[in-house]
Amino acid sequence: MQSPMEQFTIRPLLESNVEHHFHKHDFIFTNQSLWMCIVVGAASLFLTLAVARPQLVPGRMQSMAELAYEFVANMIRSAAGEDGMIFFPFVFTIFVFVLFSNFFGLLPGAFTVTSQIAVTFALACLVIATVIVTGFVVHGLGFLKLFVPHAPWYLLILLVPIELISFFTRPISLSVRLFANMLAGHTMLKVFASFVIALGTAGGVFTAISIAPMFLIVAISALEILVAFLQAYVFAILTCIYLNEALHLHDQH
Amino acid sequence: MPDPDELRALGKRLDEVRRQKEPRPQQAPPSSLGIAGRFATEFVVAVAFGGGLGWLLGRVFGHAPIFIVVMFVLGAAAGIRNVMRAAAELNARSAGGGPAVSQDDDEET
Repeated sequence: MQSPMEQFTIRPLLESNVEHHFHKHDFIFTNQSLWMCIVVGAASLFLTLAVARPQLVPGRMQSMAELAYEFVANMIRSAAGEDGMIFFPFVFTIFVFVLFSNFFGLLPGAFTVTSQIAVTFALACLVIATVIVTGFVVHGLGFLKLFVPHAPWYLLILLVPIELISFFTRPISLSVRLFANMLAGHTMLKVFASFVIALGTAGGVFTAISIAPMFLIVAISALEILVAFLQAYVFAILTCIYLNEALHLHDQH
Repeated sequence: MPDPDELRALGKRLDEVRRQKEPRPQQAPPSSLGIAGRFATEFVVAVAFGGGLGWLLGRVFGHAPIFIVVMFVLGAAAGIRNVMRAAAELNARSAGGGPAVSQDDDEET
């Protein structure tokens, strides 16, 4: 029987070795690349078609797109304030990409793009890079105050490194959370599915109870749909929270 | 030419109506499992990051174990800081309204 981790293997689909001046580039189109293209294509197609012929009373597609817009816009307004809206295209793109990747990954036989830490970590690095650039553009060197809490100077020797470490763990925790959730969910589904086959072929009373993990799979699939949405939401809201800090520093005082 | 005072009053009234019509951010509080997962990753990642950084520094500056010891402890402290910050965010969100207050430095110092 296949291992439950087999679904995460990256396989080359197209390979070509391109001689480019002095370096040899291996260009490999993998199943990962394919599914990323599918996700981006589907998301672009859906959003383009949804607003292609806008109507005052929105149809099904248009109201879904409007719902997505309202959802992300409200999220940014509540987490980063009105001036955070300049980041709407950024946050919306990330949200839609993660959401579509998670949902496409649930299709039978599909490859989950967000179950690869390379993808989620690249996304998280993009977010943190945006936060850092925004912070320096808005506040100049004053952005560094983010790492200096209100405390006597002898405590700062200890607190500044702690704040720095805490800041630089953000891209890691952001990416690990999404990646681990998708990995765990899909592995769990495969493990329970293998129980059905193992019990079903065991014969006798085992065949009869092989129906039990089957129901469990249905329940877990429902949970996975929730997780797919929730993780996209968490990724986007944390992006907003980090951007809020870069925009407003310790405004609340 | 309309009266400027009248216009200002109209503007004020418009602002009020707009504020009332503003969609209230409606977010269900995250499930306890979600909160637990969030706190766990925040803490574990910080400890791992601190430990890893210490190990790396030890490799660069000769294998002095002091780096990994100090950085591990600092990583654990940063992990606690992360969890406190996450808790503050959750509190601010469940209290509702306004941009989430990311942290409150006065309380713990």
